[in-house]
Amino acid sequence: MKELVLKARRVPNVPAEALVVSPNFIAGKSVEEICAAEVWEGNRRIALREVFDVEGETAKVAEEQAVKVIGEAGKVRKLGYQMSSGLITVDGNAGMYLGEEMKGGTITVNGNAGSWVGTKMGGGTIEVKGNAGDFVGSSYRGSRLGMKNGLIVIHGNAGNEVGCWMRGGTIRVKGNSGQFPGMHMSDGTIFVEGDCGGRAGAQMTGGRVIVVGRLLTVLSSFSFEELRGSVKVGEDKVGGPFYLFTGDVCENGVGRLFVGVNRNPHLEWYKRFIETPGDGLCRLV
Amino acid sequence: MRCLAETFSNVVCTVCGCCCDNIEVTVEGRKVVKVKNGCAISMSKFMNYGEERIPTPLIRRKGELAEASYEEALREAASILKKAKYPLLYGWSLTSCEAIEVGVELTEAVGGVMDNTTTTCHGPTVLGEHDIGVSTCTLGEVRHRADLVVYWGCNPLHAHPNHMKRYTVLSKGRFRASRKDRKLVVVDVRRTDTAKVADFFLQVSTNEDYELLSALRVAVRGDEIEQDSVAGVPAEKIEELAEIMINCEFGILFFGLGLTMTPGKSRNIDLALSLVRDLNSKTKFLIMPMRGHFNVTGVNHVSAWETGYPYAVDLSRGYPRYNPGDTTAIDILLRGECDAALVAASDPVASFPAKACRHLAEIPLITIDPHYSATTLVSDVVFPSALTGIETCGTVYRMDGVVLESKKIVEPLGGVRSDVEILKDMLKLIRG
Amino acid sequence: MREELIVRNGFVFDPLNGIDGEKMDVFIKDGKIVDKVGSKASVVESSGMIVMPGGVDIHSHIAGSKVNSGRVLRPEDHEKDYEVKTQITRSGVGHSIPSTYTAGYRYARMGYTTVFEPAVPPLKARHTHEELDATPIVDKACFPLLGNNWLVMEYLRDGKIEECAAYVAWVMNATKGYAVKIVDPGGVEAWGWGQHLRRLDDRVPHFEITPREIVRGLCKVNRLLRMPHTIHVHTNNLGFPGNYETTIETMDCVRDLASGDRPTIHITHVQFTGFAGTSWLNLGSGAPEISNYVNKHSHVTIDLGQIAFGDTTTMTADGPFQYLLHKLSGNKWINADVEAETGAGVVPFHYKKSNYVNAVQWGIGLELALLTKNPWQVCLTTDHPNGAPFTEYPRVISWLMSSKARARVLAKINKNARRRLHLPGIDREYTFNEIAVVTRAGTAKALNLKEKGHLGVGADADIAVFNLNPKEVDPSKNYRAVRKALKKSAYTIKDGRIISRNGEIVESSMGKTYWVNAKTSEDLMESVTSQLREKFEDYYTVQMENYIIGESFLKAPSRIEVSSEV
Repeated sequence: MKELVLKARRVPNVPAEALVVSPNFIAGKSVEEICAAEVWEGNRRIALREVFDVEGETAKVAEEQAVKVIGEAGKVRKLGYQMSSGLITVDGNAGMYLGEEMKGGTITVNGNAGSWVGTKMGGGTIEVKGNAGDFVGSSYRGSRLGMKNGLIVIHGNAGNEVGCWMRGGTIRVKGNSGQFPGMHMSDGTIFVEGDCGGRAGAQMTGGRVIVVGRLLTVLSSFSFEELRGSVKVGEDKVGGPFYLFTGDVCENGVGRLFVGVNRNPHLEWYKRFIETPGDGLCRLV
Repeated sequence: MRCLAETFSNVVCTVCGCCCDNIEVTVEGRKVVKVKNGCAISMSKFMNYGEERIPTPLIRRKGELAEASYEEALREAASILKKAKYPLLYGWSLTSCEAIEVGVELTEAVGGVMDNTTTTCHGPTVLGEHDIGVSTCTLGEVRHRADLVVYWGCNPLHAHPNHMKRYTVLSKGRFRASRKDRKLVVVDVRRTDTAKVADFFLQVSTNEDYELLSALRVAVRGDEIEQDSVAGVPAEKIEELAEIMINCEFGILFFGLGLTMTPGKSRNIDLALSLVRDLNSKTKFLIMPMRGHFNVTGVNHVSAWETGYPYAVDLSRGYPRYNPGDTTAIDILLRGECDAALVAASDPVASFPAKACRHLAEIPLITIDPHYSATTLVSDVVFPSALTGIETCGTVYRMDGVVLESKKIVEPLGGVRSDVEILKDMLKLIRG
Repeated sequence: MREELIVRNGFVFDPLNGIDGEKMDVFIKDGKIVDKVGSKASVVESSGMIVMPGGVDIHSHIAGSKVNSGRVLRPEDHEKDYEVKTQITRSGVGHSIPSTYTAGYRYARMGYTTVFEPAVPPLKARHTHEELDATPIVDKACFPLLGNNWLVMEYLRDGKIEECAAYVAWVMNATKGYAVKIVDPGGVEAWGWGQHLRRLDDRVPHFEITPREIVRGLCKVNRLLRMPHTIHVHTNNLGFPGNYETTIETMDCVRDLASGDRPTIHITHVQFTGFAGTSWLNLGSGAPEISNYVNKHSHVTIDLGQIAFGDTTTMTADGPFQYLLHKLSGNKWINADVEAETGAGVVPFHYKKSNYVNAVQWGIGLELALLTKNPWQVCLTTDHPNGAPFTEYPRVISWLMSSKARARVLAKINKNARRRLHLPGIDREYTFNEIAVVTRAGTAKALNLKEKGHLGVGADADIAVFNLNPKEVDPSKNYRAVRKALKKSAYTIKDGRIISRNGEIVESSMGKTYWVNAKTSEDLMESVTSQLREKFEDYYTVQMENYIIGESFLKAPSRIEVSSEV
């Protein structure tokens, strides 16, 4: 792998967008071409070199290209836009729209990421060591085309509407998530290891939302099915037990919501719906 | 010498989204002496239109706002906007469509973001509509046909005082002659004055409207609510409301900030829109947001036909881009990402979060307003302007999208210019 | 005095004046076609190119309440299709519901210079005019919706044709409208209660009138008022298998009201009401039956409503149909009923080649065009954006001109649909002359726009020059060249000024808004106006005075005076 290092020179005080920070764009170009590449800073077009000091080398093809971003890039948006291979590492925070329309390759952020991580993602891996904002793995406004494939891991907390209109792939939040994980999702897996701010799986039609930690209430549009000992996420077998609900019934949904039993004693009352094996009848336990 | 009184009829009120257009205003010289058919808020606006007016343009010099000439203020404003890398042009809801059109042109010329007060009230409604759509109508349909009127998270007796009288349960419709032909339902976190006159009131626990809407959808479908109560409301009562809704002939759901600005926000609206959509498979049911400012609906429309988007339009790259949460005024201000601002026909400092206001006060700020306001007090350049619907005419859009032409009934006080004039002059100067 | 121009040496197609590809010059002075100019005239060199009058689109949803609701509904429609501002042009967005500036520029780039917005709720007409006034370059007009209007229905129910005529004239003036539009007559009023009306002789609840009576009544009214255009009708039952019968029934229900050779009814987007079959599973084409009728009856004109495969947005005043489309497709849905008048609905839609129904629909529109013999009875539309965005017109034209182009698509569509259609067996190919008829000469004639759609002396100097040599290019074989040339005119001239060159807008301008000032006798108008004054507050939630749009509201009104028989 050949590595190109971009060191942030200054923090833009207005939105800056660097679509060029993507192995697909960088590979096959000279360092000088990269330095001169166009970056938007507010309503001005400037050269990349005004925002980043550029060192290192470019590869011939994207899959051999590594890009390291150092310094305060928290205001720079759209890093990794449409990338299909290669590597991006951000030593610090990353701005909004990280990995938008990504199809492959890997992005690692050692700090926090803004909102809209992995929007419309079609493949690849995004790993954020810190926190992420709202709308991880979502679609664009008005569109139903959310994340289709790939893996997003947020080590810290994620905001609201994780996996909004998600169609496939996996999102793992190791910390807590905000409200509405899985909003309108039709397929894929959202796995929240911490607490959830509420309304998990809202309006989903398919896919799985798994919440290990606390979830204050389950929506009435979710129907309790049974207790499950564990649930599989990728290669991992995550131990429960879990309450398993299906829903969102108002969307004729066949999504599945797993809520951890141990951290949610207030949901004990659902156990009254557990069927006694053998008689096929639902009765109060 | 006594001035002769003149009475103007069919005047369009420019307070709230009701845009009542049967107002009669009697003017003596420059004073409004009588207002007929207006609600208390309307009367107050017309009769006190001359209060707290800014007499001349102002420029902040050495920390203090000082009088300046119009030309000086224009030069200063143009200079601020031309230098800016990401100016925010905000407000727009209390002026005419003609002014807003110039506002769009100005924003495009300076490469900024144009946002309006939708961002603080019914932005969530717009976002909900992007996903679901909306089943709605004009207010006359409600007056003629509705036998069920639901107000959810809004208090029309206070905020839209003529609403019930002109358009809903107290109005006279072709097929519903009087109050007894309609059922009034109110859903709110407290027993508001509107709730007190309702036939059926549901008190929802604060911040749990989403849960209640979800349970209501379940009941409307005929499925069972597994919980005993949801959002503080017993399941039976939710089912009762579902029955009322299913069994009406024509129902309408009006909603306000109780839904748009409580946790859930756009998803509260998404769900309300979905509920109404579901109801259409059982009966005729419609929904309408209670728009606050008299022309916020107008800004949405002008913005949408000119740029494709109803608010939060980023024109910094020379073409329209849109993503609320990113390109919305408060978010931009909270992130400290705009380096100049122009506020027209609005008072954001009175209602924005403190951190956003601080940033607004720190950056060069131009304000166009008829009155002194919290925003003018932290501005760097202030233009006094004429009041739309009183001192200058212009097109406005009612909450249901019906368009009216507001009238000019007095000459502008102190010869202040209209928003249209000021913005056009600013644009001309910027274009050089 | 404005510039003098010579459009020199092009192959001119001007069907209204019998010119069929003749090499000739066209002279322009002061924005009009003249028979000669001075020696200082500028030259637009058009050798080896086709010269036609500017396109006239008779039916395209570009301005007004439901169009704008559609824009708001679909930010995802605009996200990737945008236009950056230039020194001359404003920025904007597409794709299927373009913002107003973009709509004007895109039409102009294709050589279109006149566009009519076909469906305006009178109560919201002001909104339409605001948007039309923000649509650059093209001349325009709008049609107020009257087929579900309470006052119209009451007058017709009571047999008061003359009062109805006066009322319609009043509405035309109040809304600054051009023609009488009828959408799903009676059906949208029923939809006000959530009900559906399917047959021409069903009774409208509470109004005791039938769709047939509404259509006939308004047809008589239209004739009494001597309106330039016929009634413009979107029939009942749109979107239902078997609805071609309703279309023929509707055409036929005013046959006895025809006089001479002049049309009495225009049925719009006939593709959507040209379905044979009894269900979606056996949907077929009713085009042969409809074309057969049109071929035998000169009182009818139609426009196609052709679909193109891809993503678009449906939007009509047919509230009940839009709801059903939402239920069928599961897509998001806007409904907007308008008091005492009409309704509207918007639903995004994606036409797929592999989808049986969509593929049949594609075939129906083309069959209608190819089986109807007289091109003067046919107008080319996609019912923008219902069938496809208007930017697809070059593609549609290539399908009409080339059976090879059609065959290529036929090979890719759902094969059951292919078997069901008659299209594979149709060889006819439109000539350039016929294309000129269905896109400008014929449409202008149907609208009775005397100064449009032709290049005779006195016509407005609205001209499209296409970089396509009709002597060298065989449109049947080289349909791609046709598409390419029509997408971006070599020149579009509007009012004698070059505003587009090779697809680039070089000058912007503001077109006129036509409206028809229909006048009845003073006594009749007085009587009807005072009846209206009494009823207005009962029917509407706005004051009568505020409902009326003054001519000064429009930026560039162009009034057409007609005086009626009453």
